[in-house]
Amino acid sequence: MKPSVVVTKARPRRTTGMRLAKSPVMLNWMYLPALLLFAVFIYYPFFRGLLISFTDWDGYSQALHYIGIDNYKRMLTDSRVHTVIINTLIYGLGSTLFQNMFGLLYALLLNKHGKAKTFVRVIVYIPAIVSPIIMGYIWYFLLQYNGGAINDIIMAFTGKPVNLLADPKVNVWIIMIVNTYQFLGIAMMIFLSGLQGISKDYYEAAEIDGASPLKRFANITFPLLAPALTTSIILNLIGGLKLFDVIAALTNGGPGYASASLSTMMYQLYFARQDAGLAASLGNLMFLLITVISLTSLYFLRRKELSQ
Amino acid sequence: MRTRAFWFMTLAILIIMASGCSSRPDSGSTGSGNTETGSGKIGSGKAKTTLSMMVNISDESLTQAYREIVDGFTKENPDISVNLQFDSTGYENTMKVKMAANDLPDIFDTHGWAKLRYGDYLADLRDEPWASQLTDTIRDVVTDKDGKVYALVLTEAKDGLLYNVDMLEQYGIQVPNTFDELIAAGEKIKKESGGKTNPFYMSGIDDSMIGQYLDNFANPLLITAKNNDADALLNGNFDWTHITPLAQSLVDLQKKGLINEDVLTAKRSDLPAAFAAGKVTFALVGPAFMDSVHAIAPDMKIGIMPVPSMVAGDEPTFAGGERNTLAVWKDTKHLDEAKKLLQYFAKPDNMAKLSNVSKNPPGLKDIKTDHELTPYYEKYANIRVFPYFDRVYLPNGMWDVLCKNGTELLAGRMTPEQFSESMKTEVERLSKK
Amino acid sequence: MKQRKRTVVYTVIGLLVALVHIIPFYILLTVSFKDLRDMSSKWLFPGYGFTGNFISAWQNAHLGRAFLNTGVITVMSVVLILIFGSLAAFPLARYQSRLNKWVYGIFVSALIVPPLTILVPLYKLFVDIGFMNTYFGIVLLHVTFQLSMAIFLYTSFIGTIPRELDEAAMIDGATKTGMFFRIILPLLKPVTATIVIMNANSIWNDYQFSLFFLQKPDSRTITVALSSFFGENSAQIGWIAAGSLMAAIPSILVYILLQKYFVDGIAAGAVKG
Repeated sequence: MKPSVVVTKARPRRTTGMRLAKSPVMLNWMYLPALLLFAVFIYYPFFRGLLISFTDWDGYSQALHYIGIDNYKRMLTDSRVHTVIINTLIYGLGSTLFQNMFGLLYALLLNKHGKAKTFVRVIVYIPAIVSPIIMGYIWYFLLQYNGGAINDIIMAFTGKPVNLLADPKVNVWIIMIVNTYQFLGIAMMIFLSGLQGISKDYYEAAEIDGASPLKRFANITFPLLAPALTTSIILNLIGGLKLFDVIAALTNGGPGYASASLSTMMYQLYFARQDAGLAASLGNLMFLLITVISLTSLYFLRRKELSQ
Repeated sequence: MRTRAFWFMTLAILIIMASGCSSRPDSGSTGSGNTETGSGKIGSGKAKTTLSMMVNISDESLTQAYREIVDGFTKENPDISVNLQFDSTGYENTMKVKMAANDLPDIFDTHGWAKLRYGDYLADLRDEPWASQLTDTIRDVVTDKDGKVYALVLTEAKDGLLYNVDMLEQYGIQVPNTFDELIAAGEKIKKESGGKTNPFYMSGIDDSMIGQYLDNFANPLLITAKNNDADALLNGNFDWTHITPLAQSLVDLQKKGLINEDVLTAKRSDLPAAFAAGKVTFALVGPAFMDSVHAIAPDMKIGIMPVPSMVAGDEPTFAGGERNTLAVWKDTKHLDEAKKLLQYFAKPDNMAKLSNVSKNPPGLKDIKTDHELTPYYEKYANIRVFPYFDRVYLPNGMWDVLCKNGTELLAGRMTPEQFSESMKTEVERLSKK
Repeated sequence: MKQRKRTVVYTVIGLLVALVHIIPFYILLTVSFKDLRDMSSKWLFPGYGFTGNFISAWQNAHLGRAFLNTGVITVMSVVLILIFGSLAAFPLARYQSRLNKWVYGIFVSALIVPPLTILVPLYKLFVDIGFMNTYFGIVLLHVTFQLSMAIFLYTSFIGTIPRELDEAAMIDGATKTGMFFRIILPLLKPVTATIVIMNANSIWNDYQFSLFFLQKPDSRTITVALSSFFGENSAQIGWIAAGSLMAAIPSILVYILLQKYFVDGIAAGAVKG
């Protein structure tokens, strides 16, 4: 994805018909259908939604008043919002870290050696196929207090079940792990394919030089996986920062808002609290947060890629 | 090579057109007499008018009863068919979005919010033949001061505490009349069952159960006794520290170990199994849950008692309001047909059927019912029924505050004093609108 | 010898990983075979052969119909995504003018838009233009919301295709449009498999859009149909488990079938040329 040799600039407008046909500007017709869809179904509603954040709308009535930036003031002074931002960062950054770490480990494990590697790959990937809301419920079966599968084991040892999802210091991390579990198969796949794209010649040369396996990984494998890492990190970041379904199924953001993410809090403010204006400002905060985080990481990752 | 581009775009256009042609998904199927539960279209294929209808229930026996009634209606009126949809988990959210877009079903359930939330979108039904038959307890709930009638109330809520009859007998406990007696009963059961039974069950995930507790006991604390705060609440000069004992009572229940240990993470849908297993004595939910209990323990006897009093010298009361209702969208294109369907529902046989299946009292007078709770409703016929606390005394939007703050109390993240303080600020914020 | 020892170690570790990852599905499987009244541990399969959940789930949620609805929507959406996505990615990957960089940004930033902020305005729009409860509308919605990912992947993939190929085609006298269809398009097979799997999967699993924009009972999709088992007073967890297992089968099959391409596709997409 580096801007390689030719970056064709748009040519001067006044050209003859013949030259226009060959001009790259003419090729832009190819993205017009997509652009049209985006304008109508995403950006038009998005800007309409932006306006809601400046109103006191309750989310359903026809009455609404513009109240300036009151919602943003409320949002920034609300201590619950601070908790929720921290949770969102844990969900986003935490699962990105673990997905990529384990994804890379699994990819190395399942790349060349070992039998049954296709089987293991499929097993690791399958959770990504299941709808996240169902995944939430599956984990509820594991984690629930009465009759939960994990508590069955704990009971066998201690005789007393543990309420795993009640403590906000713990449940936030559990949710992060569930999300990691579900989507680490995608990270693994991305790395696996990255590994297969690396030419054997590099390793042979390194072996002749007598480089240790660790050195080979640090000097050959990892740098060449950088582009795969970029793709994987960006997809995981956006997914983790928007996390919704698993939280809804496991804790519903509770107790109170202790394990809520920006997505689930927004949902509750919008529908239950009938505070659509505040919900919309939270949505805009989330858009801003994700944009800043993903652009920053993209910038650093790309720079690293190019410097290799 | 233009040809490949040509085929490419042609394919895209063809697909768009194909999905456009099949764009009305209900076009093909008009099967009638579908007896399975769940949503579906009812009526003959020749119907000229199709009514859309959404109902906020999911309990199998009750959806079945609705289907049978609608089926009877479309047989009597072959020119009308009905698209009947059931949903309970997503109902409120879907309806809010539909209201925002001003695109509602012809007929829908107002589940307690006919006036406050749906009022602006509803047709006036005062001239309907059944309107004069609304019961004394429900009439004012769905009628405004100008006389507009907002909904046909199929069944009304008469909420107290559902309880395990056998268990009270087993421990020799009389039905409690006061809150202190209720606590004493709970402590006795907890102790004598060896801790197996936690008499009360609530859910922090489906936190409306906690809201229900606060709402139901707010009436006996603040409204029903002789010297009460009703006027102060309505005039806006209520001293919010008066509500602190309500929050305290919830915390006390938990401290005494009378609520399920996993209250913060339990789900409401786990209640029937726990109740059926004798792990719960009192349930603050509507009677619809009884069917789910009986699905597991068919012989368990369940009764209903009024909400005990909380102030010395006061009597127990019920909390009342709409339960299952039908209202008509004011902008419907089929007003007459919709009214006709409501009239069909209002027939005594159908009213009795819905009441018997849901075990709630009917919303119209002179309907004979016969179900598990009938003897209890007859026994407590003279007990006063007060409308739900939040609908009368709190501004719209406070329900969720009650639920969330209640959960914070149980999580130990809010003290009863902070609870009252938070109620005060939220009420002030919401009243300003 | 050393090689064989390594193979054994890797196989054992791999199987251990698989064992840990399969646990949640094992639990799902035991639950799907249990009667609602069965309170035994979720680790144990019931001693009786109980398939009632599968039958009840299939019948009560009208899953046959739901599979058909979901299948039609998914196939139509995916084909359109592939067409529009590959078309859009070509100029964005090959001619990075300032305009095109902006356009690329617009496409990718749609990944970030929180769905709830646009829900109500979108719903209003759908009512106004008469797209409510149409396959047409829901297909276009899915296409729009999945296109970001498709364009993101196609653009990086086309970026890895050597430009020498373009130039050779140009010498042969092809137009740039022609070059896309003749040279680039045939090379996109692997990344297309990636996009098919990822997008088909999200569309197949979609809940929010189907819930709000396809409200006729006959047009329900699988997830919406299954959600009817979550009642206020009871959740038919056996039915939910059985239904989810059945719903996952097509996705798993598609994944296994396309797996070979899938790996190649991401490899080529992620590793720059």
